[in-house]
Formats: sequence, C-alpha cells, structure tokens
Amino acid sequence: MASAPSKLYADDVSLVVVLLDTNPFFWSSSSLSFSQFLSHVLAFLNAILTLNQLNQVVVIATGYNSCDYVFDSSSDLNRSFENGRMPVMCSSLLQKLEEFLIKDEQLSKEEPEGKVKSSLFSGSLSMALCYIQRVFRSGALHPHPRILCLQGSPDGPEQYVAIMNAIFSAQRSSVPIDSCYLGSQNSAFLQQASYITGGVHHKPQNLDGLFQYLMTIFATDLHSRSFIHLPKPVGVDFRASCFCHKNTIDMGYICSVCLSIFCKHHKKCSTCGSVFGQAQSEAASASDKKRKTPET
Amino acid sequence: MPQVKIIAKNFMDMVASLPAIKLDLLYRNQFICEAILRSLPPLAKKYVLQMLYIDIPITSKPLQEWLLADGSSKHKVAIDRLIQLRVFEVIDRKKETTYKLNSTFQTNLRKHMISGGILPREPMPQSVTARLPTSEELDAYAHEQWECFLLQLISSGQAEKSTSFSSSMMRIFQRGLLRQRDKEAPRLTESGFQFLLMDTNAQLWYIIREYISNSEEQGVDQADLIAFLLELSFHTPGEAYSLDTLTDDQTTMIKDLADLGLVKLQKGRKESWFIPTKLATNLSVSLTDSSSRKQGFVVVETNFRMYAYSSSKLHCEILRLFARVEYQLPNLIVGAITKESLYNAFENGITAEQIVTFLQQNAHPRVAAKIPSVPENVTDQIRLWETDLNRVEMTPAHFYDEFPSRDVFEAASDFARMHNGLLWEDAKKMRMVVKAEIHMLMREHLRGQNK
Repeated sequence: MASAPSKLYADDVSLVVVLLDTNPFFWSSSSLSFSQFLSHVLAFLNAILTLNQLNQVVVIATGYNSCDYVFDSSSDLNRSFENGRMPVMCSSLLQKLEEFLIKDEQLSKEEPEGKVKSSLFSGSLSMALCYIQRVFRSGALHPHPRILCLQGSPDGPEQYVAIMNAIFSAQRSSVPIDSCYLGSQNSAFLQQASYITGGVHHKPQNLDGLFQYLMTIFATDLHSRSFIHLPKPVGVDFRASCFCHKNTIDMGYICSVCLSIFCKHHKKCSTCGSVFGQAQSEAASASDKKRKTPET
Repeated sequence: MPQVKIIAKNFMDMVASLPAIKLDLLYRNQFICEAILRSLPPLAKKYVLQMLYIDIPITSKPLQEWLLADGSSKHKVAIDRLIQLRVFEVIDRKKETTYKLNSTFQTNLRKHMISGGILPREPMPQSVTARLPTSEELDAYAHEQWECFLLQLISSGQAEKSTSFSSSMMRIFQRGLLRQRDKEAPRLTESGFQFLLMDTNAQLWYIIREYISNSEEQGVDQADLIAFLLELSFHTPGEAYSLDTLTDDQTTMIKDLADLGLVKLQKGRKESWFIPTKLATNLSVSLTDSSSRKQGFVVVETNFRMYAYSSSKLHCEILRLFARVEYQLPNLIVGAITKESLYNAFENGITAEQIVTFLQQNAHPRVAAKIPSVPENVTDQIRLWETDLNRVEMTPAHFYDEFPSRDVFEAASDFARMHNGLLWEDAKKMRMVVKAEIHMLMREHLRGQNK
C-alpha cells in the first residue's frame, strides 16, 4: 500500500483537528497524569493559534462510550477574543470536557471481563472527517486541514473495519493523520493511519517533555513538511482483524468479491452475500499446510 | 513582481532597522512578539517554536540537519530574517556560529504561550456606548474611507469628499507615486501603477510606512507608533475603546488612522471612543507573503470581454488602466481588453505579468474555482502583445569592413568567436559585426596582425 502522494500547499494556514483520548481506564494507569497532559495540550493549541491569525483548532474528545466536540476556535464565542485568548480557551475547553466526561460515564454498561479497554477512536475519527468535509465545501478560501490523534488506549480490534474505512477516505481527500501514541505498547491502527495518509507517527520516549515533541514535530504546517525531516515510519504493523470475531489474524480467508477477511471458513460472505465454493477436505488442507511450511 | 514585494515588505524592514535597544523595548510587549512571529516565513516560525524552551545556544549544524535537501534556500532566507529582526542572536564561538533566541523575546513569548496576553485597554461598557455600528456598517465605513483616500491620492478628481490630511501629508504620500510636470495635471508613475494593482493590505502598509517615516521628522518616536499599530491589530473589531487610554502621540495617530478607515471615531455625551475595523485587525495577516485571501469581482471571458461586479470608482479607475470600459451599470462594469488599451498600459510602465496577476487574484468566485481562472488565450495574448513592443533587441556593437585579405578576416572572426563576441559575419564580402565589449581587444588583435 503506497502512502498518499504529496500535495502542494501555498501557505501555512492550517486547521488542526485534535482527537483527545479521555479513556479513564488508560489515564488511571498512565505515568503522565491527565491534568499535566492537558496543560501540555492547551499550550500547544495556543501555539497553533499564535502562529497565524487564520489558523483554526477543533478538539474532539474520544471517550470510552462516546465522542463529542469539546472546543472549536472558529465559533463566534471564541473568535472575538484575540485579546485574552488563553484564559477563555482554557475555561471553555475544560468546562465542556468535564460535561463530556460526566455524560460518558453515565453511558457505561456492564462489560464482560477480559475485554480490551479501548476508546472509541473510530467514532472521533469519523466526526473529524465530517467536520473537514464541511470545511472543504465552504468555498475556495479554507485553511489546510490535518488531524492529530493523541491516543494512549490500546487498539480495539472490533473497530478495525470502521477505522480502515475512515483512513481510506482521509487518504482520498488528502487529509494527513498525525498520531502521537502515549501508551506503553504499539498501536497498529495509528501507525497504519499515518503511513497511508502521509502523516507523522511518533511515540515520545519521555512523556514529561510532551510539549516539546508537539512543538517540534506536530506543529509543523503542511507547507513546511516538504522541507523538514520528520520521524519516518520504522516498521508498520499491517495485520488485519477478521470480520466475524474481530480477532487480529495473520492468515485467513478472503472473499474474492469484496475482499472481506475471515478467520474461519464460511458458506456465505457476511458483507456482500456471495456464496463460497466447497471447502477442501480437512486432511487435504492439513497436508497442504504441512507441505507449505518447510518451503517458507 | 519583485518590485511590489519590496514595497509591501518594507514595514518589517523598517522594524528591523530600529536600533537594538528600541527593538528590545518593543519585544517587552507580548503582542508585538506575536505580531513579529506571525510576520516570519513559515520555516522561521518553526525554528522559533523549536528553540522556545532551549536555553543553550545551538550550533548551525543541527539546525541544518532538520532540513531536507531542497529546503536550503528557504533555510537561508529564514535565518537571515531572524537575525535581521534580532530574534536570533548570533554568538561566534571558536569559529562556529551558534544561535540563541533573544532573551526578552523568548521570555515574553513563553509567557504568551502559556498564559496568553491582556491588552492595556478594555472595551467600554455597553451602558456608555449608546449605539455601536453593526459589523456591516463598520465594513462599509472602512471601505468608503479607504477608497476616498486612494482616489484623492491619485487625484483623479472623482473623490466626493476630501480627507482631513494636510496637503503636505498628501504630497508626501504621493512622492513616489505621482509625477508632476509644469502646467500639466499630475500623472501616475510606474510605481504608482504598480501600487494601484497591489492588494489593499499591501497598499495600507506602504502608506503607513510613509506615514511613520515622516513622523520621525516631526519628533514623534517611531518605535511607539509601530508598537501602537501592531497592538491595534489585536483589538476586537466592533468593540469601543476609550480615547482616554491613549497617549498624546497615539491620539494624533488615531485621527489620521480614522481617515484611512482603520478605526471609527465616535463621541458620546461625555466620552469619545474609537472602534477598530476589519482593516486594522487584518493588518497582521498581511505581514507575510501569503496568498491574498479575499473575494474577487472580475470575470474575463475568452472573447476578451470583462465583467467586473463592483460599484466602486476605484475599481473602475484601475480597470481603465488596461482595459476599455464600455458600460458602467449600478453593480457592474462592462469592458473589453483591447490591443490599444493594453499598449496604453504598457507605455505607462505596467507589465503584462502585473495585469495577469491582478486578474487572477481578483477573479470572481464563480470563475476562481476553474483552472485557469483567466482563460489561457487571454493571458497568452496579453503577453504576446507585450513582446510585440519588444520585438527588436538591441546590442551595442561595432561593424568591421574592408579587410585587406581573407586570412586576416578569418583570423579576426575566429578571434571574435573565441571571445564569444561574434554577432554576424558575411564571408563573401568580408564584413562582420562584433559586440562592443570586445572592440578594444579586436583592435589590439588587428594591429598585431598588421605587423
């Protein structure tokens, strides 16, 4: 899969849509506290707005059960306060964030044990793309949009299909998705998203210096990216999850019509409804597998 | 249009030319730090952000390692700009140049990032300010004032009312733009035409630059005025600010700014206040070279007809510069781009590039979405008509005739060819034309041949 072709940008006016991970399960066990994290992020947002008078910032909170818009710098309330911008931005963002978290908690239901505690990344990514589409349709004079994901929660394999669809539509509309992973393992979704759309993926080694990482790497506008060295993808995890059980698999069955992935043999494709042929007999397939392994 | 760029950028050059002490004083104001940051090229902005929290000086090598190969020219431009504005301080240590952010600038920008800045004045309460104009009224007022000023500037006689600028001020503004011969009406010079074709913000900066350089002669401190202007761009348009919060110099300046359309002055029962307009708050956007982002009004068709959806006299005057205006309707100016009108423009010093750029930048939104916004046959024809006037290229040269023999002629023509100066030769009649630059060398050579 080739990464997105680079586009020519005339100036450095940007619209940054920030997807903020507010998953309580992750933040309760993280080395960086949520309030410290927020102070880094707020200073970073102020820096983006300082760089250019026409820059815009939108913040979407990615919760455990829901997502919502938390801040929009171009809304009428926020726009008239060039003077005293930081206090107004902080207070309105923090207030909305608190309301969102209360609502998110109320939506919690009983979960089965052993389920991966992931945040609703696919939801917030889709919301971001809808906002950006609206900006594209607002006329010729719009800032150049990009998405920045600040995620720490692990990947939820049940969101694979939705996230891949969102990534491909971002690639189609030339919207780079930058990602900054704050957790301890690696996130395959974020790596794939940045690789396919031409954005930057980075996992900071020292979370106390998060502000400096944000300023050095993620504050770079799209116009300057053609001149500056940014972290390159080291190795991207391209593994898929199956459509039937949402498990991550390495080898599986693929429908030849719609390319949906399954881990077990099915009689009919659940996505497009095409009927599959007869399965090979167990013995033959086992011996096939045995024959293949010495060769590989 | 290199010349236009020089004019527009001169305000920042003027800031950069202030003495170091005054510049440091300016950097104590957080809003000025923000305005300066916004005026930098994008790469320079990035460097400032990266160095914001680094206290030790950085050698130039790591800075260059941040770049890819094709960014080196932009890197040079960015570093030069930063050093000019004294944002980067150069410390030469053991033959290696190291850079450090100016400490006043650094402290204030850090404060600005973390806690934001507060202007020295607050909007006045609603109880005192009776009826504030709506944003449309304010925009219309600003637009009207600016146009009136411009029309008077080019003294076209079309201005309805005159501004309160003294005639000496107007003459200073007109210094580079108009030229007056005896007994003739003043005519626009080449730079005058270029000035008219620039966009509003660039024109504003030019006028303000002239105003500030002039104020120095009248004893007002340049740095104060610059600080006030940059601060003005951060006020909220449409809000009233009391005149009592201004110093005396600033009050004088405010009255002049009201004539330009940057602020609107209003009087209540006891107090008077000023209201910044969009022109003022957009000042800091235009400090860089970024593409102009405003609505256009001109539609150019492939049959060379031009339709401009505007009722402004200024636009009509500008279009008259290079097109033949046929009808003027209440909201529409109809014209055609003809060979005669273009020859007229070329004689006045306007280049085809300027005309094409003007048409492209001011294209009506309906056609701006198309590629190209101005039909190619029109742009090609404008350029062709321009080269028509430059059909003959002149090179100073000397003509050599009556060579004594063929050998001398051939030796001379080889000599000229070696020195890259042979323009034309006729071997049969033994004549040749050689560039003037190597005429002396040819003479030496021929004298040497004769001996």
